[in-house]
Amino acid sequence: MKPRTVSMYRRGFDFETTMWLFTRLSALIMYLLALIGIVGAFIMGARTQMNLADIIRWTFMPNPSHVLNTNVPDLAPWSTVFWKLMGSAFVFFAAAHGLHGLLSVIEDYLSHPGIRLALRILGVVILLLMSGIGIYMIWTS
Amino acid sequence: MQVTIKVFRYNPEKDKKPGYKTYKLDAIETDRVLDLLEKVKGYQDGTLSFRRSCAHGICGSDAMRINGFNRLACKTLVRDTGAKITVEPILGLKVIKDLIVDMEPFFENFRSVMPYFVNDEPEPAQERYQSPAERERFDDTTKCILCACCTTSYPSFWANDKYLGPAAIVTAHRFIFDSRDRAAAERLKILNDVFGIHRCHTIFNCTLACPREIQVTKAIGEVKMALVTGKLD
Repeated sequence: MKPRTVSMYRRGFDFETTMWLFTRLSALIMYLLALIGIVGAFIMGARTQMNLADIIRWTFMPNPSHVLNTNVPDLAPWSTVFWKLMGSAFVFFAAAHGLHGLLSVIEDYLSHPGIRLALRILGVVILLLMSGIGIYMIWTS
Repeated sequence: MQVTIKVFRYNPEKDKKPGYKTYKLDAIETDRVLDLLEKVKGYQDGTLSFRRSCAHGICGSDAMRINGFNRLACKTLVRDTGAKITVEPILGLKVIKDLIVDMEPFFENFRSVMPYFVNDEPEPAQERYQSPAERERFDDTTKCILCACCTTSYPSFWANDKYLGPAAIVTAHRFIFDSRDRAAAERLKILNDVFGIHRCHTIFNCTLACPREIQVTKAIGEVKMALVTGKLD
């Protein structure tokens, strides 16, 4: 029996579905980023030279300034472009994922298309502002 | 045993605001909440209004909030509720009188997903064949009785009755995954609306509320996947 499928054009794939998919994928991406972060922490010597709070701090925001008070002897090799990109990706995906989730719940209570559009524009502005400031701090600290 | 039943009362033609009235009556553990309401209406207060029809969990007309949960009064036994029972109308729909609500917004949403078989291909000599496996694919969602227990348990629907709601999505599921139907694309497009399937936040209220034990959240998840992948098998 031939598999039944519907093309993207016929079924529609608009903003709502795109953002639904983005929310799921961004969560998976953040799991992956956290996994890379925690592996990095253990390579750094977390098992003997960090407490749990520092491991978590590094996992979710891999910036050497967050783990200055640990017993890791040399943090310089961990201040690289790779880890800055990791931190930037975390900031962007966390802000976008969280903000979209919040807007989704608020939108349950809004039916006027104009107000919904205004809220979405405000959301994009907040996202750019929040992630922009965060990423700027990562690259200049 | 003696049972105390507290019932939501509101007659918009007489009452300024809604209230509750408490009735005491004798019951046995295997009495249903519908039996208690019938006793109240028959012997204590003839002004009490509620919907009922088959009284056997098939017609779906006596959906109400019983001790805070959406239930069918004809399927809820006193032994499960205890001796103190509070009965209220289902939420998110305008109260017409007492436990009777205006179901029109619910049925409007139901009608919007094309709840009927569509196939414009030439009719075969005999019936349109379907294998047991193809029939099994949507078996669960054929059980819906449109009682509105699921839709009115959902906060998005309380906030905005434009939200299609689980019952409409379950109905869409029943046809989208039917191998004989040819309007899956149109239904998916309708569900892709701002007030469509993405207002579902997967909180499982609908599954818990369904008196027919349909796996509503699972069905909604399958429709979401069909929307993303385009696969209907």
